[in-house]
Amino acid sequence: MIALRWHVGECQRFVEEQPFDAILANKTGWGCVLGAPLESGKPIFSVDIHPDGTKFATGGQGQDSGKVVIWNMSPVLQEDDEKDENIPKMLCQMDNHLACVNCVRWSNSGMYLASGGDDKLIMVWKRATYIGPSTVFGSSGKLANVEQWRCVSILRSHSGDVMDVAWSPHDAWLASCSVDNTVVIWNAVKFPEILATLRGHSGLVKGLTWDPVGKYIASQADDRSLKVWRTLDWQLETSITKPFDECGGTTHVLRLSWSPDGHYLVSAHAMNNSGPTAQIIEREGWKTNMDFVGHRKAVTVVKFNPKIFKKKQKNGSSAKPSCPYCCCAVGSKDRSLSVWLTCLKRPLVVIHELFDKSIMDISWTLNGLGILVCSMDGSVAFLDFSQDELGDPLSEEEKSHIHQSTYGKSLAIMTEAQLSTAVIENPEMLKYQRRQQQQQLDQKSAVARETGSAASVAGVVNGESLEDIRKNLLKKQVETRTADGRRRITPLCIAQLDTGDFSTAFFNSIPLSGSLAGSMLSSHSSPQLLPLDASTPNSFGTSKPSTEPAAAAGTRPAGNSVNKDSVNATSAPAASSPSVLTTPSKIEPMKAFDSRFTERSKATPGAPVLTSVTPTAVERLKEQNLVKELRPRDLLESSSDSDEKVPVAKSSSLSKRKLELEVETVEKKKKGRPRKDSRLMPMSLSVQSPAALTAEKDTVCLSVPAPTLKLPMPGPQRAFTLQVSSDPSMYIEVENEVTAVGGVKLSRLKCNREGKEWETVLTSRILTAAGSCDVVCVACEKRMLSVFSTCGRRLLPPILLSSPISTLHCTGSYVMALTAAATLSVWDVHRQVVVVKEESLHSILAGSDMTVSQILLTQHGIPVMNLSDGKAYCFNPSLSTWNLVSDKQDSLAQCADFRSSLPPQDAMLCSGPLAIVQGRASTSGRQAARLFSVPHVVQQETTLAYLENQVAAALTLQSSHEYRHWLLLYARYLVNEGSTEEGATEGTAASHRAEPPLPASLHRMSGTARHPKGQVACPHLPQLQPGQGHLSPRRAIVGQGDTGRRWSVAAPVEGGSSAGNSSLSPGPPRRAGAGAPPCCPGIREAHRDRPSSARSRGGH
Amino acid sequence: MAKVQVNNVVVLDNPSPFYNPFQFEITFECIEDLSEDLEWKIIYVGSAESEEYDQVLDSVLVGPVPAGRHMFVFQADAPNPGLIPDADAVGVTVVLITCTYRGQEFIRVGYYVNNEYTEIELRENPPVKPDFSKLQRNILASNPRVTRFHINWEDNTEKLEDAESSNPNLQSLLSTDALPSASKGWSTSENSLNVMLESHMDCM
Repeated sequence: MIALRWHVGECQRFVEEQPFDAILANKTGWGCVLGAPLESGKPIFSVDIHPDGTKFATGGQGQDSGKVVIWNMSPVLQEDDEKDENIPKMLCQMDNHLACVNCVRWSNSGMYLASGGDDKLIMVWKRATYIGPSTVFGSSGKLANVEQWRCVSILRSHSGDVMDVAWSPHDAWLASCSVDNTVVIWNAVKFPEILATLRGHSGLVKGLTWDPVGKYIASQADDRSLKVWRTLDWQLETSITKPFDECGGTTHVLRLSWSPDGHYLVSAHAMNNSGPTAQIIEREGWKTNMDFVGHRKAVTVVKFNPKIFKKKQKNGSSAKPSCPYCCCAVGSKDRSLSVWLTCLKRPLVVIHELFDKSIMDISWTLNGLGILVCSMDGSVAFLDFSQDELGDPLSEEEKSHIHQSTYGKSLAIMTEAQLSTAVIENPEMLKYQRRQQQQQLDQKSAVARETGSAASVAGVVNGESLEDIRKNLLKKQVETRTADGRRRITPLCIAQLDTGDFSTAFFNSIPLSGSLAGSMLSSHSSPQLLPLDASTPNSFGTSKPSTEPAAAAGTRPAGNSVNKDSVNATSAPAASSPSVLTTPSKIEPMKAFDSRFTERSKATPGAPVLTSVTPTAVERLKEQNLVKELRPRDLLESSSDSDEKVPVAKSSSLSKRKLELEVETVEKKKKGRPRKDSRLMPMSLSVQSPAALTAEKDTVCLSVPAPTLKLPMPGPQRAFTLQVSSDPSMYIEVENEVTAVGGVKLSRLKCNREGKEWETVLTSRILTAAGSCDVVCVACEKRMLSVFSTCGRRLLPPILLSSPISTLHCTGSYVMALTAAATLSVWDVHRQVVVVKEESLHSILAGSDMTVSQILLTQHGIPVMNLSDGKAYCFNPSLSTWNLVSDKQDSLAQCADFRSSLPPQDAMLCSGPLAIVQGRASTSGRQAARLFSVPHVVQQETTLAYLENQVAAALTLQSSHEYRHWLLLYARYLVNEGSTEEGATEGTAASHRAEPPLPASLHRMSGTARHPKGQVACPHLPQLQPGQGHLSPRRAIVGQGDTGRRWSVAAPVEGGSSAGNSSLSPGPPRRAGAGAPPCCPGIREAHRDRPSSARSRGGH
Repeated sequence: MAKVQVNNVVVLDNPSPFYNPFQFEITFECIEDLSEDLEWKIIYVGSAESEEYDQVLDSVLVGPVPAGRHMFVFQADAPNPGLIPDADAVGVTVVLITCTYRGQEFIRVGYYVNNEYTEIELRENPPVKPDFSKLQRNILASNPRVTRFHINWEDNTEKLEDAESSNPNLQSLLSTDALPSASKGWSTSENSLNVMLESHMDCM
């Protein structure tokens, strides 16, 4: 082992060779070469090596701010590189943190770096690729930032110093902990969304670690406890206090670590017989029987090697399978470092006095053979191990095999490569896949953006280079005078940032100077639109058409497997026939036009060409359209009695035809026979048909595409498995054509529920399967749908569907089948009633190129369709109507601002079907208010209307939890917005009771609020007692009506303990044996109990 | 954290006659959309001895500022020679570019400026009453002095209490009165300044 140490700023590099007799080599350390930027002796609190091993980040104290530095790794590893002046040592430094940086962590993908500091902030950094090296302006000029890392998100929630941050396996979540005693879980896909705030610690939380399987997260705090939280519901799994009882004094950090095999969790600072230890906690039962002993002072940091090792096989020795083991480094306040193997009882190595001050953080290289250690004394040491010392690392496959054999398949333990091909087995996987696709989209748009901005930064914009622009900037820049006569300059935007911030969309109409304006605007707005409107990714000339078909093709198989799980993840393609048809066709015109036009006139590709061509195409469109209208109908008819994959076949045949045509032209050209007629014919054809398709979408009136509705169907697979739920663990395994009995092939369905297995055989191939805790259902070929109980009893003879299955879904005892002909059925198989009978999706899909992006079946059997245009509809069985429950583009939602009414503690934690379809509320309302200076009255009205919508939507979805949430929010808003009449009081109070007619009465009440004459007194409400309430204090007092009494409202959440709450608690998913329909038990009960009281009170 | 970072300032039209307007091409980057304009100022330090002679050459609002990288040219008229003490007309002084957001200064870029006669004769025998029309202004563009201040970037409505509690002394620090005056701060380093200036002039 070799240990190198750089004392930053002191020109020293220590080389320590095993065993521990330190050889002091007085070389020029690169810390010194770097000189000024690293304040010598300033503590370094955190170090983390990038997953690709080429760089590492440090975080600590800067001059008068926190400092994050990204370093090149190769000078650390190789002395030659260190001496080579051409190899940069420092890649980037960021001094944006206002105060000391306590933690830096790379995401597992390496794309992001998260840093947390004493300024209570977490910053997420991403590399900006389009800007080359630059200097930090004014910082002595010599130091170039070789790489540009840009802060893409600032996460604000903590009210105290952030001590540690940690990315979950596969970067789904980012956790942060703080001296405010909380742990916050951020949605790493959608910063700054907070998924959960974990409360429970009563002291400063100083360390975090994720379970490598992704099931838990552990935190250690100054309150002498280590807590393990479940990721399933973000609740406390266990709190371990015993080993920490004796702990006195405080360490700066308590960085605990989970072993890569998941078996052990090792704490920082624990005590055993008044000696400092690192406590080993077994996953099995959270037993605390072992610890690492030996350090003389408190353990500050524990870090497991990411690799699992096995004994090195010696030549000649029998290859007896040795137990794999893990390797762990422990750093302490006593300035020494110990490295342990879990197969040895003594440490592998102990290095005493490696530093002058406490060790603060440790990071292993990904290959597991090196570690970087940083210290409060401002230095970083690198230790290099050999394989002889540690053993043979297991490959990632072996590691994931260990995980799978121990924990079963789950998201966290699958590698990226496996995931892309894996069968979706549980919701997390589905989420993951969806995220991947989203990322792909984002990346694509980012590429488009970057190419756009790169052109504007480095290259030529509208024939003008940046140099030219600069020359004339003074003349061209827009300068105006403000009302008070001051000069106001509109700056020239020369590059977009890849922040992906929604609010930038508001600025699309910035006036830009001179000839730049046009090009800037296009590059400005198009990337913004991409993520919003995923179904038209290619209508901009900027993105490369050639990548698109590949992507579309790539997502199709994924889409198929996703369909099986009935929630369709793909946003753009594959979900329904219009897009399956149009995605390729949309691309084709580009390609076709491009090649044609470059052939002829070398015109610039992309949008301008498209516009110049469409007129001609539109001319022929009408006749073409007739043909087109016929075609799908034929196909539909033919498909209804065959189980072929019609849409796929169709689109491929279409594109194949186009391909053939193109090939034809090319061939002819090659042969050099310029027969004009024949050459033009196929050309116009190949251009026309796709153009017709595109144009048809634009001009909605042309035809009714209803008959063309055709949803994709899952193709038969040989075998697949499906995880229904993880707790209790339940799997469905399907093997098609597994046994042949007398020439008849049978398919096997196997179900495993908490170890109990049953299986059955079916005569036709199983296309898709779904399950819930109550039922398992499979859709087979020949349009058969079979339903079994979870114990394997067949509940019904096979159901014959009207057309082939597209998507199957189960929730509770409800089974939802979406057929390829876009009809939807929902049955309650236990009560054997139909909930939704062959309802067509035509009404919600018709007339546009929308696709179904997500399908949901609530626990009350309400189907919800999320469409690609951001709208979501649920089917109301009692009215037989499709109801719009969410619209992303809804201007109401964008203008509504009810933030002030949100109870602070459970900010956005309301979950349920409505939250799922709508996503989390954004801050757009406030943005709108700020940007458009919406008059307050208008905003108030829109907010009221929005909240009204939400209440109604939650009610329609029979989501009691959300109904309560929105109703309370509504009431709070009314109260906060000065609707201080008794009517509002009644609303809030009544919401405790949650009678169904409330929305209506509330509506009237909001009316009351605006017209104070119609006051309604309600002195008899039990929840309302003078002086009781503690709703946000500044506005707690409401309603000083004619009675002259002062009413206080109990804050909704706190008030939830009152009797009214019990009737509203979400209740178990299904109440066994209940005669009443299991919809919204609370609401129903209330309804029965007090059928008319609300009405009588509400009326005025 | 600072929402606006100044990436670069290019001094245009340099060196130039004294009466030419100042021109700075400023490139800055903004990580989030700003709801209010930035205010930029050019301050000419007439005499290192006292703030009294500072002249605000011009101030300009810049906006709207969406997230992204932006540039503009800030042009301001030459200082009024009447306000410059005769003794300080020739020699080294300072020009400052400051930027404020919501009235809080968050960056200050300072340049050394050397005013001297171009004609050797005048240089050797400078007139008692300076002849500004023959002075040449040379801004030491390669050596900006950048000072950054932490300010509250948030909308005051949102996180006021937060900012106040975290940085009780921030407000006082940020009020312009409390800022050390440029000339005072700089006069202490005047010796080194001259040395540096000379060495730099050599390489020019």
